Amino acid sequence: MFRRHSGNPARAADALRLVSVSKVYGDGANAVTALDDVTLTLPAGSFTAVMGPSGSGKSTLLHCAAGLDQPTTGQVFIDDKEMTGDEAALTRFRRQRIGFVFQQFNLLPALTVLQNVTLPLKLSGRKLDHTHIRIVLEQVGLSDRLEHRPAELSGGEQQRVTIARALVTNPSMIFADEPTGALDTRNARSILTLLQEAVRDFGQTVVMVTHDPVAASHACSVLFLADGKFVGRLDNPTAEAVAERLTHLGDDIARQPVALGA
Amino acid sequence: MFRLALQSLRHRTGGFMASFIALFLGATIVMTFASMLDTSGGSSVTSADRDTLVIMANVVGGFALVIVIFAATSTLTLSVRQRGAEMAVLKHVGATPAQIGRMIVGETTIVALAGSLLAILPAMLGGWLLLEALASTGQVSATVPYRFGPIALGLGLGINLVSATVAAALTARSTTRKRASESSAAAMIETPGTGKKRVIAAVVLLAVGIGLGVVTATVSREEGYESMQTAGQASIWASIGFALLAQVLLRAIITVLGHPLAQMTGASSYLALLNLRQRSHQMASIAMPIILFTGLATGTLYMQDIENSVTSVEGVAKSTIQKNIETLNYVFVGMIVLFAAIMLINTLVAATTYRSREFGQQRLAGSTPPQMLSMVVVESIVLAVTGVLFGSIASLVSVVPFSIARTGSPVPDSPAGIYLGIVAVAVIITIVPTPTTTRRVIRTSAVEAVAA
Repeated sequence: MFRRHSGNPARAADALRLVSVSKVYGDGANAVTALDDVTLTLPAGSFTAVMGPSGSGKSTLLHCAAGLDQPTTGQVFIDDKEMTGDEAALTRFRRQRIGFVFQQFNLLPALTVLQNVTLPLKLSGRKLDHTHIRIVLEQVGLSDRLEHRPAELSGGEQQRVTIARALVTNPSMIFADEPTGALDTRNARSILTLLQEAVRDFGQTVVMVTHDPVAASHACSVLFLADGKFVGRLDNPTAEAVAERLTHLGDDIARQPVALGA
Repeated sequence: MFRLALQSLRHRTGGFMASFIALFLGATIVMTFASMLDTSGGSSVTSADRDTLVIMANVVGGFALVIVIFAATSTLTLSVRQRGAEMAVLKHVGATPAQIGRMIVGETTIVALAGSLLAILPAMLGGWLLLEALASTGQVSATVPYRFGPIALGLGLGINLVSATVAAALTARSTTRKRASESSAAAMIETPGTGKKRVIAAVVLLAVGIGLGVVTATVSREEGYESMQTAGQASIWASIGFALLAQVLLRAIITVLGHPLAQMTGASSYLALLNLRQRSHQMASIAMPIILFTGLATGTLYMQDIENSVTSVEGVAKSTIQKNIETLNYVFVGMIVLFAAIMLINTLVAATTYRSREFGQQRLAGSTPPQMLSMVVVESIVLAVTGVLFGSIASLVSVVPFSIARTGSPVPDSPAGIYLGIVAVAVIITIVPTPTTTRRVIRTSAVEAVAA
């Protein structure tokens, strides 16, 4: 399966650590707290889904944890290294330690499959390990598509390219933002299987934001987020259990003011 | 639709700035020279002075018409293209293509009117300065009184409104013909190549240019300064010919420069070359004005310099017609510089802003801001090299034959400084706008840029 990359430093036991992370948009009367003092530790080799209703702070959490956005307060550690600095520093940090899988793929239209997959390596000036690249591309089933451009591929194929691009640098963390949101069920299942394989066979750590209980059931555990706070956790989830919990998430929140008032 | 046009103008004044500047400068130039027609109508003007004034006005007016239409179309097309989302919303809520067309034409008419009215005062001043210059060089007698009247106003407003409307109609047609979803999808797929018709037209124009050059060097040798007419056209046609072939020429340059460049700066050049190759169609539209600018400016200024040194060596005073031609040459080069700069800067700024999503994707893939900047700089350098190189070659078909005709030697004894100045201007207006705009574009977060 995936070969370990000898170039990367030894992994820390905790892949991701958030310490009292808050994110506030706007100021004064217009201030909106998207993340409210969130603390979280994820061990290396785990596959975690983050779920919650719209506006619960899922995307903000992912963006702050992945260094795409700066938290207002708090610290983010990946592989025990704190993520700080200006955009260039953050980009170099991300390039070395983080892989991304987005709902809208975000492949460069002018580049072929192979060029897209190897781009992060070229940008960081690393030597291309062609054997490793070939293995990753075989794993995601794209070996016969190397010279195609994104516009010539189906959605499922494009998402495989982004997974290959995320894996090829052998990162400490993979963040997936609604990775199956733009796919049909069959393609969605094979993408989720690929993410599971990355965790199981290669020791990757995956955090996936999703609103689909079926997608979330592929993870080892599910964290529920509401109003910028974690409100629950479910291990070894099934789609039914996730859907059930999600349905009552709203009830809990709606009940709160009543309970306080009583 | 007219009220919508007004509101849309008020809402996004910035987007129309380039069109406004092009139309304002166009109106200023046209009215400045058209006021020579008003002046020539004065009762005390001699017939010789009248001829000089009329030639000035007609030649420059004709050029201005062509250039203003060209500049207005290019600036408008870009400002409308950037509003793709707005156009799509209009279509979704039920605006017909004709209504959208009327809105675009309405907006443009308002911009053209504003540009023309604001141009009146500078044009009055410019016309007065022009007449002073003509009088001080003895091209017209110093007693001719300056008049700025109905002809200047009529031609200025007329030419501007007509060219703006034509440009707007052309833009509206190309915008409304395709659906919004198509246009964005089309941008993703590989760019089209250079069509057969275009290649044939380019070859014909190049042949005409070379032919005129040969005629200048052989048949027109005895005609003195009049051979400038033939020689001058040679580089114009050759420049247009090369401009039509810009995409092919750009690809050739990429092939030649590709390898050494890729070795030099790593990932940024690698991406720059991929972008240039993949988008050679759009990139060629940037190389085009550089070719025209370099070709026309170099050709015209060196011919004038050769002419100047020949007359000074012969020790004869220039005739009025020779002085007229000299003035016209300088005005012509001035106009080319001005409009090439406006068009180039506008195209570069708009094209870069348009790439915001692509830049966001690239940043998410791991490009640091410095890597983004060096990528766009490498792109601009390749474009500048292509434009300057082929513009220079085009200018040779004017300069060499004219030098042979006037001095007998193919290499003119003119200072290299003129050429270096032209190249410097071309390089600066090509390379400066892109990184400046890119820096502004990548100030928004990559996630937002991708979502937009």
